[in-house]
Amino acid sequence: MVSQRTGLLKYGFVGPALVVLIVLNIFPLLYNVVLSFTDAELVGGGARYVGGSNYSRVFSTAEFVEAIRTTAVFVAAAVSIELCLGFCLALALQRGFRGKSAILTVLLIPMMLSPAVMALFWHQILSGDYGILNHILAAVGLGQPEWLTAPGLKLISILMIDVWMWTPFMMLIALAGLNSIPQYIYEAAEIDRAGAWRIFRRITLPMCAPLLALAVLLRTTDALKQFDLVMAVTGPNDAATQTLSALLFQKVFGDGKTGLGSAYACVLLVIVIALASVFTRYIDFIQRKQGKTQQ
Amino acid sequence: MKFLRAIGICGACILVALVAGCGKPDADVGDAAAKSITIWWAQWAPAEGLQELGNEFEKETGIAVNVSQIPWDSYQTKVFMNFANKRTDFDIVVGDSQWIGVGATKGLYLELTDWLPTAVDMDAINERAWRYLCEYPSGSGKYFAAPCETDAIGFAYRKDWFEDPKEKAAFKAKYNRELAVPDTWDEFRDVAEFFHRPDQKRYGCAPLTGRAYDSLTMGFQQIMWTFGGSWGDPETYRADGYVNCEASVESLEFLKELLKFAPKGALNLRYSQTLEVFKNGTTAMVMDYFAFFPEAVDEMGDKAGFFIMPRKGDRRVVSLGGQGFSISAKVPPEQQELAKKFIAWFLQTDIQKKWITKPAGFTANKLILQSEEFRQATPYNEPFAESLEHLQDFWNVPQYSELLSVAQKYVGEALDDVKTPKEALDAIAKEHEKIFAEAGLLKEE
Repeated sequence: MVSQRTGLLKYGFVGPALVVLIVLNIFPLLYNVVLSFTDAELVGGGARYVGGSNYSRVFSTAEFVEAIRTTAVFVAAAVSIELCLGFCLALALQRGFRGKSAILTVLLIPMMLSPAVMALFWHQILSGDYGILNHILAAVGLGQPEWLTAPGLKLISILMIDVWMWTPFMMLIALAGLNSIPQYIYEAAEIDRAGAWRIFRRITLPMCAPLLALAVLLRTTDALKQFDLVMAVTGPNDAATQTLSALLFQKVFGDGKTGLGSAYACVLLVIVIALASVFTRYIDFIQRKQGKTQQ
Repeated sequence: MKFLRAIGICGACILVALVAGCGKPDADVGDAAAKSITIWWAQWAPAEGLQELGNEFEKETGIAVNVSQIPWDSYQTKVFMNFANKRTDFDIVVGDSQWIGVGATKGLYLELTDWLPTAVDMDAINERAWRYLCEYPSGSGKYFAAPCETDAIGFAYRKDWFEDPKEKAAFKAKYNRELAVPDTWDEFRDVAEFFHRPDQKRYGCAPLTGRAYDSLTMGFQQIMWTFGGSWGDPETYRADGYVNCEASVESLEFLKELLKFAPKGALNLRYSQTLEVFKNGTTAMVMDYFAFFPEAVDEMGDKAGFFIMPRKGDRRVVSLGGQGFSISAKVPPEQQELAKKFIAWFLQTDIQKKWITKPAGFTANKLILQSEEFRQATPYNEPFAESLEHLQDFWNVPQYSELLSVAQKYVGEALDDVKTPKEALDAIAKEHEKIFAEAGLLKEE
């Protein structure tokens, strides 16, 4: 009797989460796939089945190729800069020193703030005419670029904001990785008279690699969906900064083409899943390799 | 056991609360809706004036009017997302002129063709306002809106700079003519060049170049029309040979040239931002809709003057602005009747006389527009009234939003030097024809 009740209780606990998952994740996903094969529009009229024409339109337009290129450049640059800076900061903060926790707290603040709000603040900071950054540059006798409107700088400005926001995240995970390396391994290396570079290359980096790969996976999937900074800095329809998510928004909410936008969403989802599975396989590979080494 | 009972009681309480929460507000809304109408409009000065008139309407009729203001950049998105619901949150939307096609053909706007002549003196209203703001298809005599705000793009200028004797003498010495409000685009270019002194934080001009929504297109198209280009043939919907003709290319090159005399950040200036560079006292001439100009007067006082869009040769064309009242087809008939009552009341000549006293309350009433009282009421009324005779609009077909985003993107790429003006306009021609062909509008010439 008791075990029957416990069984019901289990379902009682799991049930609500399952319902939420189905209603908020699985149903919208399936509905989006269905919509991508129709000519549904944001307003008016029903949706007619149009086969794969939305997908052929997605892959035949130049703007899709440009959006892929912009997104790839953004993701590659943002994630690698954040990884390098985050890891360097973690190395600097690994050892205990006075004021370390205060510095750590300050460094984590950007990550905790809303991207949309931060983008609006940065919009003021980077303004060509009255932005504080250009005032500082002018004060030290440097040029005053138009960060938000110069064609070559718009994407770089968005990149700068993203790096500022998400480097702490990389640092945090790298710090966790560094702290998880047992001290005796370093001591053994010192006894063997291994140099600092050799220790870093043979011990620190490989042992941090699984966590760093996880951080790269999380940041890559997140950066692939970059939207809020683009919206706040240039808007969704600027060719120089139009990422896949911004293009998707423009198609659905600007042009009112829900069916076509759903096709873009499916393509974006496939890209994210493909990249995520590559990374997870890589993480598995590293872990298996480390397991063998330890055996 | 007690634990299970506690969970059961909590679950029942949550269920009861949810059921009660779902049911009650509807009843409240029903009561309030019977005596009130909701109007959605963009966030700007005229919407404040409309709310004030709405308060007067409530005093007279007991029907409350709530004007909801939505920021310009997200206005279109919010309205159309709301139209995607079975019932809209607004009874009246003050819709942009380009929306009329989609509103009429997708069953979003209530058709007013039979009702308007019975409630409004149609002859009293400017014909262009009917044609561009209310009628679809053009010339069909079918109406889906009534005029609310009639607007046009114009220029605000630094009157004090233009009247400064030193500036006048320097201008005459350099250009061998008097410094005056520019009447032609060539004169405009010279004046912009003359006042452009970045080392003194003074700039010549600020055209509309915003990449969000429509400001770049609205700013560019009137120069294109004035130079002799066009978006396409409204009969055949052919764009090739029109939007990329020599005159159109020349007009885009001219716009790029004007940007040499613009302040920092001028490659992406939307309506509020051109106004901002005027109010901060740095720029001699800024382009914007007249409805934004009350703020310029509030901030700059007598230093601000206003003029109509310049001409080229004998051609002067101005981008239409403004919006009409459209009644949502997705509200109950009782609400639609209340909305009609308000529109009929608003368009009475006496109420229009009050409307013009509100900041940027621009009427389409011909008698009022011609009256000396209106022209002298503000420094921008005179050029606004003149502008009405030169209005023209972007495509207002149901596919306008796709056409607009293509225009915004490629004209933007030309300004960014990613494409040459010719390449950008060729790309627009190709994309626009593709959109028209998919919509079944494109005809063989």
